[in-house]
Amino acid sequence: MFFIHDMERTITLHPSYMGPHVKDILLHRLHADVEGANMGNFYVVLIMDTGYEVSEGRIMPGTGFAEYTVHYRAVVWRPFRGEIVDGVVNSVVDGGFFVNVGPLSVFVAKSMIPGEIKFDGNATPPQWTDNGDQIIEKDTKIRIKIKGLRVEMGTMYAIATIKEDYLGPLP
Amino acid sequence: MSALYNQDFGSGTESDDDDFNPAPPVESDNEDAGNGSDDQSRSAREPSKVDDDDEDVAAPRPSRFSKSASPVVREADDEDEEREERDTKDVDEDDEDRGGDAAEGDDDEEDDDEDGDEEDDVVAGRPRKRRRRDPRLQFIDEEAEVDDEEDEDEIEEDDIGDEPHPDDNLELNLGGVDDDRHHRQLDRQRDLMASLDAEKQAEEWRQKYGKQSRMAMDDVVVPQRLLLPTVDDPSIWAVRCREGKEKEVVLSVMRRWDSRLNTREPIPLISAFSRGDLMAGHIYIEARRQDDVFLATDGLQDCYPRSKCMLIPINEMPGLLRVQKSKSLEPGMYVRIKRGLYAGDLAQVEEVETNGLEVQLRLIPRLNYGITEDPNAPAGDAKRKRFGVKKGPTAASRPPQRLFSEHEARKKNAKYLGAAKGLQRNAISYMNDTYIDGFLLKDFKLQHIQTENVNPTLEEVTKFAAGAEDGTENLDLQAIAATLKATQDASSYASGDIVEIYQGEQSGLVGKVATVHGDIVSLDIMEGGKPGMRIDAPVKDLRKKFVEGDHVKVIGGSKYHDEAGMVVRIIKDRVTLLTDSNSQEITVFSKDLRKAADSGVSTVSSKYDLYDLVQLDATTVACVIKADRESIRVLDQNGSVRTLLPSSISNKIDRRRNAVATDREGSEIRTDDTVKEYSGEQKQGSVLHIHRNNLFCQNRTQAENAGVFVVRSLNVTTVAAKGGRVNAGPDLSKMNPALQRNGSPNGAPMMPPPRTMGRDRMIGQTVSIRKGPHKGLLGIVKDATDTMARVELHTKSKTVSVSKDMLLIRDSESGKALPRAGAGGFGRTPIRYGNTPSRVPDGAWSGSRTPAGAGGGQTPAWGMRSAGDIPAWKRHDGGMTPSPWNSSSRTPAYSRDDGGRTAYAREDGGRTAYARDDGGRTAYGGSGGSGGSWGASSRTPHGAHGFSSSNTWNDGSRTPAYNSGSRTPAPHHASTPGVTAPTPGDSAPTPGDGIGYTPAISAPTPGDHYNDRYGAPTPSDRYSAATPADHFNAPTPAAPADHPTPRYGQTPAVGAPTPGAYAAPTPGAYGAPTPGVFAAETPGGWGGAGSPDDDPRYE
Repeated sequence: MFFIHDMERTITLHPSYMGPHVKDILLHRLHADVEGANMGNFYVVLIMDTGYEVSEGRIMPGTGFAEYTVHYRAVVWRPFRGEIVDGVVNSVVDGGFFVNVGPLSVFVAKSMIPGEIKFDGNATPPQWTDNGDQIIEKDTKIRIKIKGLRVEMGTMYAIATIKEDYLGPLP
Repeated sequence: MSALYNQDFGSGTESDDDDFNPAPPVESDNEDAGNGSDDQSRSAREPSKVDDDDEDVAAPRPSRFSKSASPVVREADDEDEEREERDTKDVDEDDEDRGGDAAEGDDDEEDDDEDGDEEDDVVAGRPRKRRRRDPRLQFIDEEAEVDDEEDEDEIEEDDIGDEPHPDDNLELNLGGVDDDRHHRQLDRQRDLMASLDAEKQAEEWRQKYGKQSRMAMDDVVVPQRLLLPTVDDPSIWAVRCREGKEKEVVLSVMRRWDSRLNTREPIPLISAFSRGDLMAGHIYIEARRQDDVFLATDGLQDCYPRSKCMLIPINEMPGLLRVQKSKSLEPGMYVRIKRGLYAGDLAQVEEVETNGLEVQLRLIPRLNYGITEDPNAPAGDAKRKRFGVKKGPTAASRPPQRLFSEHEARKKNAKYLGAAKGLQRNAISYMNDTYIDGFLLKDFKLQHIQTENVNPTLEEVTKFAAGAEDGTENLDLQAIAATLKATQDASSYASGDIVEIYQGEQSGLVGKVATVHGDIVSLDIMEGGKPGMRIDAPVKDLRKKFVEGDHVKVIGGSKYHDEAGMVVRIIKDRVTLLTDSNSQEITVFSKDLRKAADSGVSTVSSKYDLYDLVQLDATTVACVIKADRESIRVLDQNGSVRTLLPSSISNKIDRRRNAVATDREGSEIRTDDTVKEYSGEQKQGSVLHIHRNNLFCQNRTQAENAGVFVVRSLNVTTVAAKGGRVNAGPDLSKMNPALQRNGSPNGAPMMPPPRTMGRDRMIGQTVSIRKGPHKGLLGIVKDATDTMARVELHTKSKTVSVSKDMLLIRDSESGKALPRAGAGGFGRTPIRYGNTPSRVPDGAWSGSRTPAGAGGGQTPAWGMRSAGDIPAWKRHDGGMTPSPWNSSSRTPAYSRDDGGRTAYAREDGGRTAYARDDGGRTAYGGSGGSGGSWGASSRTPHGAHGFSSSNTWNDGSRTPAYNSGSRTPAPHHASTPGVTAPTPGDSAPTPGDGIGYTPAISAPTPGDHYNDRYGAPTPSDRYSAATPADHFNAPTPAAPADHPTPRYGQTPAVGAPTPGAYAAPTPGAYGAPTPGVFAAETPGGWGGAGSPDDDPRYE
């Protein structure tokens, strides 16, 4: 689910950067650092161009570095358990397949795939198929329901199911 | 069943219609099965009825579906019956647990209904075509009475599970036509019924079912406590028997009972049983009278009925029959021996006797081969070693575990040795025991071995590893690991766990564990009861409850110990999870799981972590792909996977972040880069480790080997460097590259601090320590590195290591502190020097700093500094120098003390080296006097020489020169060559000073350069590569450079030193490297004005 989220970030600046363009430098850095990054349990999609607030720099004693706190507002995406999302199949293995939902990598395990959809490793590329109109291979667009989420340092993993109505490959 | 009676029989038509929809055949089979068991149980209970009833019972079952097959018009009451029958079945299906009870109810009901049936028949005036029918079958459809098939049906029931009943097939074949008709009929009947007076209906039902109220009572599940024995039941007597023989005694009781079963005097026993270990030495006999017990047990071996025969109180009887699941032993399992010589030893079950009382164990013998025995003792003495005999060897005298050695046995007491009877290979008999492959094979009584909580350690188990013929050990690590982990964990519940009661009276409750006391868990109800209520439940009724998607960790009980993953499927207490490590589905019991922290780090207690690079042997490295407590799975550089003990890994190789390999296109690969195989499977992954030519890469979407694969670096192409992340901007925590000197794009370090070559000139100095624990102490430097010095203290004969920064150099005699220079004199000067220019000139730095630095104003600044330094070292070097130094005018003289030069000469013994240095100097000279002044400068040396002994010099033989400068130099270069190096530098200028001071300073020329904005500084440009060299070269002249010629009234003073200052470093520091650079160039650059003089030197 997408949210608009107010956040702040502290940026330290080497004294050599202090000059007329400090703010530009800071914002540039902010964009580079934050956009697309995982911040715990959500991803920052983009930073809105409004509402930056760069604090006054504070020189850190002893180092000469300056510390700035930037308040900003960003569009973030946080996946939830039970959320239904669309994604693109990234890779297919015999134990299931991986779906990319934006920055999130989601695994759909065999037991979360309806029984009639079976793995066919002999097809090229390998695919999960019910030998009908449902074919799941790399780059298939698919609708899944997130069943579990796991947060690790700087990244998230999720598992999902297509074992419910209206889930599965999109036409 | 009770639900049956709560039915609304007059319910709406829809529901009734539903009833008549044909159910899938599978379901009907289920019913068959269910009913079949009912029948059996009933027939068991009522053997008298067994005859032809059974057939009937069996047959009618499927009839519900066959009714459409034979279109028989049935009355309303029949329909009711049918409905009811269906309900019954539904209930049965729904509640399998209560199957038995329900069955009873069924039967009773049927019995009773016989009457009702007949009445019904009368009421409805229906033709009595079912007269022969078993009364109990009122709920079962009559069509099944097609007699021919009944027998078949029965047979089929026994062994056919899923095959559809023939009648069902029949029905299926017929299709829907008849069905429809049937429905219509039914509808009509319903209408009719609905039109009847409600009272009348009620009356009818009362007639039909009124009598069943009694049954309804029966139907209620009888709580277990009401089934407890009463005084009317037979009593149970406990009879003493020999310990360990309980089962045998019971068996012989049974045999006796059996043998007299059909005689005139059967033994009226109800049952006999033993409680194994629990009540060792007792068997229990259930009988009406005590006499019967004696009858059964008198005279049996190992049984002592007369000694003590206890009547078990009624309230203790149930306890006797509580079943405790005993662990069944299987060959291959590990057990421990409880007592005797082998007490506590691990043994492997070799064979289990069929009676379940004895097992043959394989264990490692503890033999001393008669060493301690009296050789003259009778042979029977060996029996002392038998287990269970009190006189067995004590723990202290217990021989160590060692495999049986035939050789030793033969040596010591061959008389006990022989080939074991039996057909087994290599079996040896020794002291009445059998040994195979060195192991002892021995029968043990079950009660003498411990089967629970064996917890074999890996070491113990390893001993049992069968050695293969080729000498390798084929130890199944996986199996052992599994055994090790299969420890029963009573504390698998922790407070906070969500658990579910899945059996017992409170089944269905869900709660959160509050506390655990032994086997009792108290939980706070969350669902299924009164929320918040706290109840106690035994552990055995509990299982942990998880939801799909939970992140859980395996905490024990299976070989997946410590795996973490997300739950994908739950079936009863079996939970399937998808492991985090390699995305595999594993199934474990819910009791072995625990909810893991949302972001958990694997806490596998292994020395090696997943993805570590480890060294297996000198030539093999491998990447850990699974780290267990006991075993480690690795993928080695050849791509093969092995399972190892942690101990067989020699060490872990730290990840080298800056390791570099080249891909097939020659571009560099670093760790974390994404690479792709060029050929083959074109696997793609990010580089975990680089080891020589092998890359260990990881691809998360690959399941096998935890996603790790190994490739040769020359077989891959780099897809994205550093994870594809484009560095979107400068690093704000580092120096702004735009401001970095030299315009070096990557912020390369300025100039490496010059290193002192040769002997550290601090060595031998008298120093005092300025800081630290030894503060104030005086000592002599015995040895020194770049930063540290070993100081031998005067106070105590002790040598301490002290940072050079903390040393103050003192005069060895006067003890006067000398200006601090020793710490790193050379090293530092240039740096300072380097800095100065960059700072001062501000923007100008980008071009060529040196000249800039030379900026007149500056020079003095550093000049001073250097002045500070120079004297310092000079002094060290030679005591005398200082004095000349002090007087600027004299400087030249002293500095010229080409002692320096001479020193070179001496040092190398070859001129060339010096020549080079000189070259360096010349360079200075050159730079200094780039233009016209050069000649001067170039000459300066000569001048210098001339000064000292020009003649000699001119001769081209340096030695004389040096001779001339002899005294100073000698000490100089002797002790500190590094120092001497500079001197020449000095000498270069000095001469200038000496003679034409101004020119020497060459000041002018550089000044030109300066003015020219380095037009002249060619030298510096040229040297741009060799920055250091530049620094020195360029600056030197530059510094003095300034046209200041006019000024140099003073400048010289400065100028003089300055050159010394850096001149000193340059040669010394870079002596070797730089010379090449500038030596070569300078001359070239200068084209030769005064070069002739120099040229020879360069050679």
